[in-house]
Amino acid sequence: MNREQTNENMLAVRNLKVVFPMAHGVIRAVEGVDLDIKKGESVALVGESGCGKSVTSKSLMKLLDTPPALMRVDDITLDGESLKDYSEKKMQDIRGRHMSMIFQDAMTSLNPVMTCGRQIDEMYMRHQGMDKKEARKHTIRALELVGVPEPKSRARNFPHELSGGMRQRVLLAMAFACMPKLIIADEPTTALDVTIQAQVLDVLRDMQRTHGVSLLLITHDLSVVSNIAETVYVMYSGKIVEKAPMKELFRTPYHPYSEGLLKSVPKLSDEGKQFVQIPGSVPHPMKKPSGCYFHPRCPYATEECRQSMPPLEKRGEDRLVRCFHPLKHDAKEAKTA
Amino acid sequence: MNEKTSGSDYILEMENVSVDFPVKGFTAFLKRQKISAVSDVSLRIEKGQTFGVVGESGCGKSTLANTMIGMVKPTAGRVTFKGKNLFELDRKSFKKTRRDMQMIFQDPFSSLNPRFNVHDIISEPLLIRGDATEEEMKARVVELLELVGLSKDDIDRHPSDFSGGQQQRIAIARSIILNPDFLVCDEPVSALDVSVHAQILNLLTEIQEKLGLTYVFISHNLAVVKNICDRMVVMYLGKVMEGGSAKAIFDNPRHPYTLALLTAVLDTDVDKEKEEIILEGDIPSPIDPPQGCRFWQRCPHAMEGCKNVPVPEVEIERDHYVACHHVNGFPDTDLPEGYDRPVKTEEAERKDKSHPLKTEESVESKTDA
Amino acid sequence: MTDKKLPIQQRMLTFLKKRAIGTGRFFKRIWAHPKGKIGLTVVSLLVIVAVFAPWIAPYDPYDVADRTTKGLTPSLQHPLGTTINTGVDIFSMLIYGTRISLIVGVTAGVCIAFVGAILGVMAGYIGGFADNLIMRTVDVLLVIPSLPLVIVLTNVLGRDYWIIIFIFVALGWGGLSRNIRSLVLVIKNSNYVKAAELAGASRWRIMTKHILPGTSHLLIMSTALGSAGIMVAEAGLSFLGLGDPTRISWGRMLAEAQGGGALLFGHWWWIIAPGIGIFLAVFSFMRIGIVMEEVLNPRMKQSTGIHKIFKTLSGDYINEVFDSMEETEQPTTSERSAAKA
Repeated sequence: MNREQTNENMLAVRNLKVVFPMAHGVIRAVEGVDLDIKKGESVALVGESGCGKSVTSKSLMKLLDTPPALMRVDDITLDGESLKDYSEKKMQDIRGRHMSMIFQDAMTSLNPVMTCGRQIDEMYMRHQGMDKKEARKHTIRALELVGVPEPKSRARNFPHELSGGMRQRVLLAMAFACMPKLIIADEPTTALDVTIQAQVLDVLRDMQRTHGVSLLLITHDLSVVSNIAETVYVMYSGKIVEKAPMKELFRTPYHPYSEGLLKSVPKLSDEGKQFVQIPGSVPHPMKKPSGCYFHPRCPYATEECRQSMPPLEKRGEDRLVRCFHPLKHDAKEAKTA
Repeated sequence: MNEKTSGSDYILEMENVSVDFPVKGFTAFLKRQKISAVSDVSLRIEKGQTFGVVGESGCGKSTLANTMIGMVKPTAGRVTFKGKNLFELDRKSFKKTRRDMQMIFQDPFSSLNPRFNVHDIISEPLLIRGDATEEEMKARVVELLELVGLSKDDIDRHPSDFSGGQQQRIAIARSIILNPDFLVCDEPVSALDVSVHAQILNLLTEIQEKLGLTYVFISHNLAVVKNICDRMVVMYLGKVMEGGSAKAIFDNPRHPYTLALLTAVLDTDVDKEKEEIILEGDIPSPIDPPQGCRFWQRCPHAMEGCKNVPVPEVEIERDHYVACHHVNGFPDTDLPEGYDRPVKTEEAERKDKSHPLKTEESVESKTDA
Repeated sequence: MTDKKLPIQQRMLTFLKKRAIGTGRFFKRIWAHPKGKIGLTVVSLLVIVAVFAPWIAPYDPYDVADRTTKGLTPSLQHPLGTTINTGVDIFSMLIYGTRISLIVGVTAGVCIAFVGAILGVMAGYIGGFADNLIMRTVDVLLVIPSLPLVIVLTNVLGRDYWIIIFIFVALGWGGLSRNIRSLVLVIKNSNYVKAAELAGASRWRIMTKHILPGTSHLLIMSTALGSAGIMVAEAGLSFLGLGDPTRISWGRMLAEAQGGGALLFGHWWWIIAPGIGIFLAVFSFMRIGIVMEEVLNPRMKQSTGIHKIFKTLSGDYINEVFDSMEETEQPTTSERSAAKA
């Protein structure tokens, strides 16, 4: 991977490792992850549950409880500023103002005894030093931006008085309140209904593009990614297995795991009663297999895969893949090139 | 689903079933309110088929499922299972009849008692029936574990040792141990990772082929339903919007809500041009729903008449029913003044245009990307 | 897992064996907890003292003939001296007092757990009229001031210590049964109970197999904490002169010490000794209660044993783990294919 720091990177993470010591061994949650997010770019981190994607996002914000977790990283830079040695107090200032996070469950990430408007006001008051009146004006504007009808009266509602979709919008408004440089969205739509999910994704994409904010979207569902992300990182069992621009990944996945993920999404165009499945399940984080972690589930595995972990190699422009036998898409590749 | 033919090949029939729940709270001074969870639903499920129920949360699909298996008593209507009216049976024969129906739940973890081991969980129904020896039960459990793709070494482990997909496999094994004929799958995959969906769905179809089960498959994802259902209904706020043969519905979807659900299915095909219908607003509260079409608040084609003229289900082609004034036209009698005026007022349209995100700049950036 | 062919004795035996193993494992886990060690040690010491009181105590405080000079200061014959008013050996009183304090505390604690569990499960699972009746009774119990009521009741019913236990149980089950009820409501709506109902399980089976085990952590914990509370309450009652007059308890020792002029004559050991007894008993029971909560409550499981983990994993080992994740320099694909050729 390109280890040089480029100026256009909003976020650059080098060699992030997180482990959880347990009574019977060590859980290796994240094993040397590098991430680059350009300014104004939206990047998705995709993987099954237990692959370490949520741990990665939390450690970027330094929200991971240490202990129990132990984290080591070569460098984290946000807009050229190294966050590696920042104290908790300094990080509190960074969170909200420069980086903010949207969680999956809006009900638990909003304070149930404060009105929604008040919670957004706080963001303005704390990070931009506005007074109450001015903050409320901005709040109403922010709620309007994320498509909350009647923002004035909605701001006076408590979280439980709003529907799931509305709560998620309030979280969006809060995350975008101070126009941060980077927003991390951890499964922002999994708890929502399909038609509401479409609305929220639409708002998230529009907000991100109009304001030029960098976005890191974390999800297990590749179909969500297709709507929103420009670059996709696929993560498996603590390691990045493939990085590619979204369209290229969807057209021509190189890693067998990415291919499996893509094919296992149920599609309307599918015919027949069988669904394409990836056999087996994610290895237990304490008992990872030898060699390539994916080899027990991989249809193309060879002796080499069983013995050593393939390196993350450059393959074509902007693409990285960790596989000894990357898939070939000769016909399609020729067409897109 | 108004077929008049009645035959013995229907395993479950519901006739005009409605379920209301009273709203708890300080109702002394207020008008007594009720939630209409399911309203006037009729359907027939053929033996050996898979029947799909599609809708979002709050559409009454879970209540409908609970009514099918006799957990919730309908306020009106009949539920007939294998020719017997479920709610007229005495306690003993009700219990006996219900052994032929089982259910798989959405969240596998909460459907397994965390204090039991796998053997105790799977064999519980057999133990309750009480006609098997310990060895027989163990043999049956091992057999089922292998059928659902787990190993017999897992028999002493506890649910928390398994991943979500494996937990769902355990739940499936438990549900088929008594050899039921009728299995209700209440969103069996939506709590799981997308990569595991296919595994569980394939397992369910495989079991159906082996054991000749009838499934009721509840889901919000039309892409999942499409490939495994023979017949289906699309529900919204307790009412059937569109129903009939799955093939007819997918070949020719007519109801605006079905269309919206179809476009809401996210795809991984990036080269396909997609027409997006994003519905406005939220699902309204099911307390005292409107007289007319329950979808009118969010419908892009809503007309004034949709608010209070009741919508009948009309068969538009063979085994394809749609309940929509926009598709079928209004009935001829008793129409209020100005029924065909669109609901979406000019003011709303203007507001929509002046929406801060719908500026030209944003449109440009959208097309760029 | 009952096999109908086996004779009842054998089934009982396997059942007991299972239970014994379970209980053993449970105590092991409490022992493994750093806080649990102290609690378990002190409680077992107290139990031994209470059971073998006649053999441990040098004199019999109940025996009127077994008395000496009044108001002796501590010596080898009388490690804590004798009382000023009656001349009873204080050390022996202290040891015999353990019996009553423990009996009252533990019996009342267990009875409260028993009554609270039954009524709480009834209210939560059966619901309807039973729920209303039980919960309104709890409301009444929780709002009436208990001390005046206890004073009145002891005057009416008598002051035998069994009656005192009865009064504590009658007034104390309310809070627990309310907690149990709310837990039962959660379990009752869980899908595994629904699945059992679908399989045709009787109400009795669901209550005993699914619901009661789900509340066990709350029951065991509240028995330990409740016992500690009752011991304090009993001491207070005896101190006010409302305890069983025929039995020696730590509370009554305190009352006697005050009445007998311990402060006046500066015999501080007479007051300190029962105080330490009460403190030890309450402290150790509380400790065990807290540890039980951590060990048994499924939601708090993660926090246990964290100290242990950090002791067993040295810094070197962790470094090794981190280093093992480092990407090793490997030949690229093109180089490998060249090498093969």
